[in-house]
Amino acid sequence: MDQRRCRTLLPLEKRGIMSDFLAKANSGVLYLVAIGVVVFILAQCLFFMVRAYREGLRIGMEKKTMWTAITSSSIFSVVPSIGILLGVIALSGSLGVPLPWIRLTVVGALHYEVMAADIAVKAAGLPALAAEYMTPQVFVTAAFAMTMGIIWGIVFILLAYKQYQKKLKKSTSKDNRWGNILFLSMFIGMTSAYVGSAFADVRRGDFTSLIVVIVSGISMYLFTVVIKKFEQKWLENFSLAFSMIIGMTAAVLIG
Amino acid sequence: MLKKSYDDTIHFYGRLWMIAALIIMFGVPTIIALYFRTWPDWKSLAIGVGSLSLMNLPGGIIEVITYSPMLGTGGTYLAFVTGNLSNLKIPCAMNANDITGTKFGTKENEVISTLSVGASTIVTTLVIVIGVVCMVPLTPILQAPVLQPAFDNVVPALFGALGAKYFLQSPKLAVAPLAFMILLCFLVPSVSSQISILIFAAAAVSIVVGRILYQKGKV
Repeated sequence: MDQRRCRTLLPLEKRGIMSDFLAKANSGVLYLVAIGVVVFILAQCLFFMVRAYREGLRIGMEKKTMWTAITSSSIFSVVPSIGILLGVIALSGSLGVPLPWIRLTVVGALHYEVMAADIAVKAAGLPALAAEYMTPQVFVTAAFAMTMGIIWGIVFILLAYKQYQKKLKKSTSKDNRWGNILFLSMFIGMTSAYVGSAFADVRRGDFTSLIVVIVSGISMYLFTVVIKKFEQKWLENFSLAFSMIIGMTAAVLIG
Repeated sequence: MLKKSYDDTIHFYGRLWMIAALIIMFGVPTIIALYFRTWPDWKSLAIGVGSLSLMNLPGGIIEVITYSPMLGTGGTYLAFVTGNLSNLKIPCAMNANDITGTKFGTKENEVISTLSVGASTIVTTLVIVIGVVCMVPLTPILQAPVLQPAFDNVVPALFGALGAKYFLQSPKLAVAPLAFMILLCFLVPSVSSQISILIFAAAAVSIVVGRILYQKGKV
């Protein structure tokens, strides 16, 4: 939804105009900063993955199992990542490429960044999020606001996550079956919230997201049946990504 | 005893990386400010950060409470630095745990979640890098009007598929939160813009129902 909103703010023809501001927002220095952030994130991933992998070997897990997790997660992540890339492209018209790139690489979330940039520039008195209105000061203000508005999760983790986890472990370690049900309930709750929100669009007269939910749901069900009945275990790695693509194709077909 | 030591190390390094991430996060706008030779307009910054924090302060706390058990320790430290939690990292970790058949709360689960979140982050980072490098040829394709409905519906496609999998796996657990969310979103469509809070409410209903069913021996 936010993506759609952003696109309406940034008509295609406007992106071709390279204002002075955009030239500066797209300068080599900012690209270098973005590359630095990318290197930091990749280093952090590798650091934790290597530790997890070693721990896995130590507790006797099979290498194959761990590589299955890595490959299936990589395959699954491609399609949602293209969605995130679109966020960078959508915001690049008004903020240049490096800032949205950085923001969507560290803590950012697609739905948050578009909204954050919009709120920040409007607080600075601009009529809309668009390069033609942008001044260096508004850009700097937006960069700070987008960063500061989203740090709360990190702050809370630093202050309280370890203690919270200890409490949670205490309550679930006594009773492992309840622990399983608890985590499953959380995930089912989360999924219900997203499925339910498709009905908010229905109320607004837009049936597309509900149809996509149903089509990708049916596809997933059929994949599950095929995997079980015909013992096509390899398909497990692809079933989620394929179901999503089928659901998204339905959205294209109904326009 | 040994498990504790792995967990403790991860907490230690996790915090270090998070502090580093905070420094980098604030370093970026500071460098931008120095480069543009201007400081933010403090008043609009306060308004902007205030209104964003109004949503994200409770949202951030709620997200840690709801998401961290699903991500494991290493996965939590990684995912909260890299973002895109509910729309990518959590489904990804759940899927990986499901495929490899690990159980919640176990050491194996912890390992798989961390590997999954790490792999997912690397892919996202690389997809964006490729996208930025190839932005000129890629933009017209990705922004072709005919493809827009597809990319506007990545999230419904993801949760439709996950819903089919998990709702059918545990229908008793799913009925109440799903019915509650459908009804709530249909009656008050504006709630869908506050997805973190909506997720928290749905998870709360789901946990309460789960507990009752569990105590009655029905799940």
